[in-house]
Amino acid sequence: MSNATLDGKSISSEDAYEQAAKILQEASFPLVAGLGADVAGAQAAILLAERLRGAFDHLASRDSLTDLEVLRSAGVFVTTPNEARVRADLVLLVGPGLQSYWPGIFDRLALDKETIHGGTSKRRVLWIGPKRNEAKLDGVEIETIAATEQDLAGVLGALRARVGGRPAALAPAALKKIDAAAEALRAARFGVAVWAAAGLDPLIVEMLQGMIADLNVTTRFTGVPIGGRSGATGVLQASAWMTGFPPRTGFGRGYPEHDTWRFEASRLVDSGEADAALWISAYDGEAPPWESDDIPLITLGPPGSAPKRGLFIAVGKPGENYDAVEFAQETSSLVLRRAGAPAELPTVAEAIAAISAKFSEDLPC
Amino acid sequence: MLTRLRGGHVVDPFNGVDGVADVYLEDGRIVAPDGRAPDEEIDVSGHVVMAGAIDIHSHIAGGNVNSARLLLPEMHRSIRARLDGTPLSTAKWSTFETGRLYAQMGFTTVVEPAVAPHHALHAHFELGDVPIIDKGALTVLGNDDFLLAALRSNESETAITDYVAQTVEATGTLGLKCINPGGADAFKQNMRAFGLDEIVPFYGVTSRQIFTSLQKATQTVGIPHPLHLHMNNLGIAGNIDTALATIDAAEGLPLHLAHVQFYAYGLEGKSAFSSAAPALAAKINANKNITVDVGQVMFSDTVTISSDVLSQYGRLEGAIPKKGVIFDGDANGGGVVPYAYRISNYYNAVQWAAGLELFLLIEDPLQVFFTTDHPNGGPFTTYPELFALLMSAELRAQWLERLPAEVRDVTTLPSITREYTLNEIALMSRVGPARLYGFTDRGRLDAGSIADIAVYKDQRDKAGMFRNAAYVFKDGELVVRDGAVTKYVKGKTLRIRPGYDRAIEKRLDAYYDDVYGLSRAIFEVPESALAGKSVYAEVACRN
Repeated sequence: MSNATLDGKSISSEDAYEQAAKILQEASFPLVAGLGADVAGAQAAILLAERLRGAFDHLASRDSLTDLEVLRSAGVFVTTPNEARVRADLVLLVGPGLQSYWPGIFDRLALDKETIHGGTSKRRVLWIGPKRNEAKLDGVEIETIAATEQDLAGVLGALRARVGGRPAALAPAALKKIDAAAEALRAARFGVAVWAAAGLDPLIVEMLQGMIADLNVTTRFTGVPIGGRSGATGVLQASAWMTGFPPRTGFGRGYPEHDTWRFEASRLVDSGEADAALWISAYDGEAPPWESDDIPLITLGPPGSAPKRGLFIAVGKPGENYDAVEFAQETSSLVLRRAGAPAELPTVAEAIAAISAKFSEDLPC
Repeated sequence: MLTRLRGGHVVDPFNGVDGVADVYLEDGRIVAPDGRAPDEEIDVSGHVVMAGAIDIHSHIAGGNVNSARLLLPEMHRSIRARLDGTPLSTAKWSTFETGRLYAQMGFTTVVEPAVAPHHALHAHFELGDVPIIDKGALTVLGNDDFLLAALRSNESETAITDYVAQTVEATGTLGLKCINPGGADAFKQNMRAFGLDEIVPFYGVTSRQIFTSLQKATQTVGIPHPLHLHMNNLGIAGNIDTALATIDAAEGLPLHLAHVQFYAYGLEGKSAFSSAAPALAAKINANKNITVDVGQVMFSDTVTISSDVLSQYGRLEGAIPKKGVIFDGDANGGGVVPYAYRISNYYNAVQWAAGLELFLLIEDPLQVFFTTDHPNGGPFTTYPELFALLMSAELRAQWLERLPAEVRDVTTLPSITREYTLNEIALMSRVGPARLYGFTDRGRLDAGSIADIAVYKDQRDKAGMFRNAAYVFKDGELVVRDGAVTKYVKGKTLRIRPGYDRAIEKRLDAYYDDVYGLSRAIFEVPESALAGKSVYAEVACRN
């Protein structure tokens, strides 16, 4: 199997790099998207977008931006999963499908174990709006508050109101349940809410963070966000220190401008504003979200993920086929993942360097 | 290639030089020409020639700084395209811009003072993306369970010494910082104030015990930089008592106190908030074991970034604009709270005056350092204005006119006539910082030193002079011409490698397994992970 294809047909890597460089250099506003990459890959991709005066976006920007919108409009209280593990005497799980967004969640939070720091105590676990049969965990009694995805904002709003001693228009039975939960939150010594932005509307996260801020007036309470897929949080971090902004940033004017609408990948492609795209999805070969199929396209993905159309260059899976630095959900920090299955494939950064090496000299650096 | 910088006013206090002289450089080092004719000559007559400046305390990298970037997109919109060969150099508040702006002012080494051990890899990635300048960092301990538990159980000093040495080595830094010792943990346990002799619940140890044990360990390990302490009660009226008591608690051992302006507050005046800088300066003058950096307030829109999460929570209420991040991290964590210092604001004006009093009343320039605690008191780009204020009593008088009148009643600043000389500026920004961190290859211009050189056009406008260096050489390469960065070079990351008994590693492995259910290796900062990103250079430990 070749490591590079053009419209599904095998070509040499050299030719692939050459053609990729030509496509990108000839474009007047190229898009670097997907960005499913380790930090080094993201650094290379962002520098490439800057050099080409294009734009960049991440495939899970929607999820990162859900939390970011709350951060930059209101602020947040956050902690690490490890701090929750050793200290949280109350864990408030919010929304459905948490384990699907973070398979290791229950193991890391050690809900079945006692706290360690600040004294040992058994934990209390509440879950608002789990999926049916989801709130089950051996050795842990999980108190649930039912809420459909549509109800979630209203239930959280009522809970926040009752935490603050304000009225909430609920039936007596529902109010009793919410009041009991509000009392539990107020009685926590170090409470931690856990949510996954991928499943939630920003207003829900804002309501949750508002409640956490209220709780901190009398006790300690904070949160653990579950980040987006395909390296979203690590890429976000690199994007922030390199440009000052998260993905959905463009360099058309020679300096970074961040605009969540203007630089959204699908819109740029489907509107025709972007006239070439480099799609990077090294973790799992996720396909681009746009509908247009006539944009010149270069894809970097794991072997076997070649699209039918356009240029494809196989790269290793970060942290699996090559040692890679990425954001670790379990520690809430950048870590080095050592390759468990090393392979003779370029890293994302190496593939981008190989493309860049083929640019003609009239492209300023 | 031998280059001669001809005819400049060389200010090199380390070597007692303050007059017209030539400086020769070759292959990245300052050299003695030994009678050889130079291959290249640059006429720097009418210019002041100094070693590259060193910033000892500036929050330029790491998770908390990055949170601030994400919190405040409105604060750093970019406005102009960059020059060729300097990618992202005009991306405001980016690591790349940081390197460019420091270089333009003639700074060639900067220390990021707050790296959390569990986030050290992140910090090094950011530092690796700061071009041109050399970087260093300090590792934060003092709210970590391992240390507090060791103190609780009266463990031997050796155990703590090994732990300190191992942590500094593993995180690739220049030494230790301690930030509100015990206060961040106490905050997790719902304490809202934490003083020098208050007890961290659950551990039964005081702030005093924590920092003095780290102070001793720093000395025993042979770390050149004394413990870098961010004291309790930052920013609170009347906290001069904390600062004075902390200096007493040091018992004559070397100690660096960070951004002391924020601790120079008394309770005088009708607002019960006054400058206590004269008392603090007198105490520092009388205790030669103490060094300080000022954390000068400069009137500007800025953001406070601190691992003193307890104190940052208290500051949220007054945030401008009203938002912030409170991060209860492993050990310290951090808080990010935007703020605007206003010349018309009584409290801000007192802070400004107190900072200048400290600069001017501390007699030995080697005991006091330039900082604004970037960005906490103001951005580092305000240093040139600060240099100008220190060099001119007349300029200070002009600024004082604009402060709220009642400020004059609670500060001695109007009566201080001292004006810094260029030699004193160089002592404070070159010689002192090198000594403070144990650098023997910089901050000076004798043969063998690295050719980090700043050349400023001598002019009446001192702020203008220091804002835009005429020439800056980094490792002998010309990187700035007429205040503009002309090219990137890759600076190094400076670190120490203290020795220690490797037995501590086994103990730490067991600790991580037990407490976190994780392999300690996940927090490692392997050089292989930084390959191509960051290059280390080693600074020697004492003994």
